[in-house]
Amino acid sequence: MNSARPLWPQIILLIVIITVCVFPFYWMVTTSLKTQIVALEAPPVWLFEPTLANYFEALFEDGVLQTLINSLIIAICTTILSLILGVPAAFALARFEFRGKKDLWFWFITNRMVSPIVLALPFFLIARNLGLLDKHVTLILIYLTFNLPIVIWIVTDQFRGIPYDLDEAARLEGASQITIMLKICLPLAMPGVAVSAIFSFIFSWNELMYGLILTRTDAKTAPAMAVSFMEGYNLPYGKIMATSTLIVIPVLIFALIASKQLVRGLTMGAVK
Amino acid sequence: MHRQVSRRTIFAFIGPAVIGLSLVGIAPLLYAVWTSLHFYNLTKLKRVEFIGLENYWKVLTDEVFWQAMGRTFFLLGTALPLQIALGLIIALVLHQPGLTLLKTLGRLSLVLPMATTYAVVGLLGQVMFNQKFGVVNQLLGGANINWIGDPNNAFFMIIFWDVWQWTPFVALVLLAGLTMVPVEIEEAARLETKSNWVLLRFVQLPFLVPGLVAVLILRTADTLKLFDMVFTLTRGGPGSSTEFISLMIQRVGFRGFDQGLASAQAVILLIITIVLAQLYIRVFYKEV
Amino acid sequence: MKILRNISYLTILLSFFGTIAFASGHWSLKEAAKPYEGTTVDVVFLLRPGYEAIEAMLPAFEEETGISINIIKHPYENALGEQVRDFVAGGDLDIALIDLVWIGNFAENEWIVPLADVQAKFPDIVDPDLDIDDFFPLVLNAFGGWNDIVYGLPFDNYSGLLFYNRCWLEEAGFGAPPETWGDLKDIYGPALTGDGKYAFALQSKRNETQSADSFARMLWPFGGSFLDADFKSNLNSAESQTGLKFRQDLMQYMPDGIVAYDHAETVNAFSQGDVAMITEWSAFYSTVVSPDTSKVADCVEIAPEPKGPAGRKPALGGFSLAVASQADEAEQAAAYLFIQWATSKANAREYLERGGVPARQSVYMQDGLENFKFVPALVESWQDGVPEFRPRFAEWPEITEIVQEWGTKIMLGEVTTEEGAQEIGTRMEDVLEAAGYYSGDKPLAQ
Repeated sequence: MNSARPLWPQIILLIVIITVCVFPFYWMVTTSLKTQIVALEAPPVWLFEPTLANYFEALFEDGVLQTLINSLIIAICTTILSLILGVPAAFALARFEFRGKKDLWFWFITNRMVSPIVLALPFFLIARNLGLLDKHVTLILIYLTFNLPIVIWIVTDQFRGIPYDLDEAARLEGASQITIMLKICLPLAMPGVAVSAIFSFIFSWNELMYGLILTRTDAKTAPAMAVSFMEGYNLPYGKIMATSTLIVIPVLIFALIASKQLVRGLTMGAVK
Repeated sequence: MHRQVSRRTIFAFIGPAVIGLSLVGIAPLLYAVWTSLHFYNLTKLKRVEFIGLENYWKVLTDEVFWQAMGRTFFLLGTALPLQIALGLIIALVLHQPGLTLLKTLGRLSLVLPMATTYAVVGLLGQVMFNQKFGVVNQLLGGANINWIGDPNNAFFMIIFWDVWQWTPFVALVLLAGLTMVPVEIEEAARLETKSNWVLLRFVQLPFLVPGLVAVLILRTADTLKLFDMVFTLTRGGPGSSTEFISLMIQRVGFRGFDQGLASAQAVILLIITIVLAQLYIRVFYKEV
Repeated sequence: MKILRNISYLTILLSFFGTIAFASGHWSLKEAAKPYEGTTVDVVFLLRPGYEAIEAMLPAFEEETGISINIIKHPYENALGEQVRDFVAGGDLDIALIDLVWIGNFAENEWIVPLADVQAKFPDIVDPDLDIDDFFPLVLNAFGGWNDIVYGLPFDNYSGLLFYNRCWLEEAGFGAPPETWGDLKDIYGPALTGDGKYAFALQSKRNETQSADSFARMLWPFGGSFLDADFKSNLNSAESQTGLKFRQDLMQYMPDGIVAYDHAETVNAFSQGDVAMITEWSAFYSTVVSPDTSKVADCVEIAPEPKGPAGRKPALGGFSLAVASQADEAEQAAAYLFIQWATSKANAREYLERGGVPARQSVYMQDGLENFKFVPALVESWQDGVPEFRPRFAEWPEITEIVQEWGTKIMLGEVTTEEGAQEIGTRMEDVLEAAGYYSGDKPLAQ
C-alpha cells in the first residue's frame, strides 16, 4: 500500500526500540561477569575477561541460592492456591446470575489497585500475633491479594468465551455444576488458566515489599536478598548484578512464553 | 441466558475466593483502621493508647505527606504523557506492514522491560547512572552528570526508568487497539486521505480509547503503589526529592516505627485509591 | 536496685566470682560451655570489617564450645528495623547488636538483659579474666550502658577519625593535616579542590549517616548540641547555627551530590584518590589500607578529627552485643559466652589484626602496633568524648528520621539552616512531649 514510503526511518526506529529495551540487560549481564576492580573502572570498560566468580559467591557463599528456592516455592504455591480459589469463582462469575455480582466484581478489581504498603503494616502485626513471621505460608497468603484478582479476571473472560450449548447438553444429562466446570469448561479454558498462572508466578516472583517486611531469614525472597547487598562498606556491583541476573532470567523466560497474552494480563481484559 | 442456581452452589464456587481474599485483604484493613486510632509505636508497645482521630489530623495537616502525594501525581503527570506519546509512535511503527522479522523482534524485546523485577530495575539504575562508573555518562560522551545526588536529576532518572519499563506496555496496548481497526475501513480511509494524522485522528483513535483508558487507570494505581524501583534506586533521596507516597508510609511505619501514624496514612491513601479506581471503573469500564 | 546494678558494683561482683574461680583452680571456656553444647545462637551482623574479622575467628570458638553461632547479615540501614521486628515478634535472635543510639530503646523495652543479671543467673560461665575495667570507660558506658546499668559489651567500636591522603597533601605543600575545622575549610579546602578532585567528603545521605556523621559532627565542635538542659531544641542557638552554616560553606570543597554519599561512597571516593580527606569511623581503616580495595593504601594517614571553637569533639559511635531477653536459658548462657569471648582481652589482638577495632585498653598498650596508624588518634578520642553526641534515648529512631529529612534539605538549600533547625526542633519537641519528658513522667536522660 504505502510502498512509496522509504523503509529506512522505520528500520532505524525499530533498531532504536530494540536497543533501548535490551541494552540494560546486556549491561546487567556483562557487569555481573566483571571483577570488583573492573566493575569500578571509570569510565566503564566494554571488553574484559569475564569471570563467573560473582555467581559462585552470590549463590553459594551469600545464600542467594536459598532465597531463589524460597521465591520459587512461594511463587508456585501461591499460584496453585490462586487457581484453586480463583477458577471456581471465575466460573461462577461467568455462568451464574446472582445479586451483588457486580459489586463483587468491582471489589476484585479494586484489590489490584491497592498499594501493598496499605496491607503490609497490619499484615505484619497480624502475622506477628499469629507467629507467622518469616514463614513461606505468610507470603503465599498475602500474595493472593494481587494474584486472585488476576486469575479471576482472565479466567472469567475465558469461561465466558465458551459456548453455552456445551454445558447445557451436559446439564440435561444430569451433570452437576462442578462436573460441568471440571469436565467441560476447564479443558476449553486451559489457555486462559495457563496465562493467569504465568502471571501469578511473575508477579509473586517480582514482589519486594512484603518480602522485605514479612521475612527475615528462613523465608527470605530473592529480591529482598538483592536489596540487602547495598550499603555495605563496599559497592559489590558485580555481585548485585549477578544476583539480579539470576532473579530476572526465569521471569523473562516466562514473559517471552506468554508474550502474546502479557498485555491482556496486565490490563486484565480492559482491551478487547 | 444465565441460569438460576441455588445459593449453596453459588457459594460453593465463589465462597472460598471471597473468604480467602477477605482474610488477607479485609482483615488487615480493619486492623489498620484500629491501629490508626491508637498511639501505636513498635518500640513503645507498652504504651498503646486510644487517641481517636489524632493520627488522621496529623496526617491531613502534615505538609510533608501532601508533598509526597503531590510528588506522586507529578510523576504520573510527567511520565504518563511521555509513555503515551512514545507508546503511540512505537505502536504505529509496529502496525505498519512489512519488515516482519524485525517487528517480531521488536515486539518480543518490548516484553522484557515489563517483566523485569522492579527492584532489579532500581539496582540496574544505580549501576548504570553512577556518576563515575556509570555507562550512561559514558554514552553521553564522558559527561559528568551527577544523577543520583541531585534532586532534579534523580527525579528525571525515576521518570526515565518508569518510562523505560512501562512505555512498552502502553505500546502493546495501543498496538492491540490498532489491530482492532477493521482492515476494510482502514483501507477505505487510506484511499480518501494521504495524511496519517487524519487517519489516526478519525479512524484509529476510536479504537484506541479503551486501551488508553486502561492505561490511565493502571498507571494511576501503579504510581500510587510505586515502591520497589525507587527504594532500590534512590531510597527517596536526595533529601525528599523522590519520596513518593508508598515510600513515605514505609519510612514512617518501619523506620520511625510509628505504626499508628503510618496506618492513618495508609488508610487515607487507600481511600484516595478506591475513590479514583471506582471513578475510573464506573465511568469507563465495561461491566460483567 | 539500680545502684546495686551499677558498674562499680558489677566490678566487685566480678572480682568476687573471679576469686571463686581462681580458688577452685581453673576456668576454661570448654568446661563452662559444656552444659550448652549444641546450642545455636542467632545474631545480626553488619556488612563491615569488624564482623568479618570475628567471623573468621569463629571456628575456634565453635570447636571449643560446641555452640554454633548463626549469623544473619544485614546492611546497617536495615539492622535496626530487622531487630525491632524480631524482638516485637518474639523471634529467634538471642543476641542484640546495639548501635549506641539504640540502647535506650532496647533497654526500655526490656529486649536485652543487664549483664549483671546474666552473670548472676549463670555464675559458672563468667570468665574470671573478663576484667570489665579494661574497656575504655567512655566506650563501655556509651555503647553498652543505659541509666548506669551495663547491658552490652563493646564489640564493633568506632571513633570518628580524620583519614588523609599524605602523598596528596605533601604534593600541595602541606606537611600535616589540618588542626582545626576552620583551617580545613579556609586553607586546605581551596588548595586541594579542583579538576574533579575534592579536599573533603562528608557522608551525608539521608540515612543514619546524615544525623551521625554529618549533622552532629558539625554541631558539637562549634559548641552546639541537639538539646539544652531542659530537653528543648538547642538547634537555633548561635553555636548550633554556626556549625550548620559551616557545613554549608564546606560543601564547596566536597564532591557534588554529597547528600547521596553514605559510608560506602565516601570511603570509596577516598580510596580511589578523588578526595583528599574524610572523617570516617575507625572501623573503615582496614578498607582504606588494603590494596585490594584502595588505590591510595600507601598514602593513608590518620589524625584525630579537627578541632572547632569548642574543642575536639569527634564523632562517637559503635556497637555492643547484649543477651536478648527472648532467648531461652541455654541460649542466653551460650550467647553470653560468645559475647564474652568475642570482646575478651585475650582475643583483642587477633581481632585487631584481622581488621576489627577492639575497645580493650590493654591491647593498645602492646608493642608492634605501628602498622595500625589509627591507634593513637583513637585512644586519644576515647579518653574523653561526648556520649550523647547523638542522644541515646528511646526516641532516637524517630528523631533521627526528622534530622535526616531536614538535614538533607538544608544541605540541598531547599530550606535555610534556621528554617531547617526550626522544623527539626519543633518536630523533635513533639516527639519528646509525647514521650512524657516535659510532663516529668520521664527523667531527662540521653
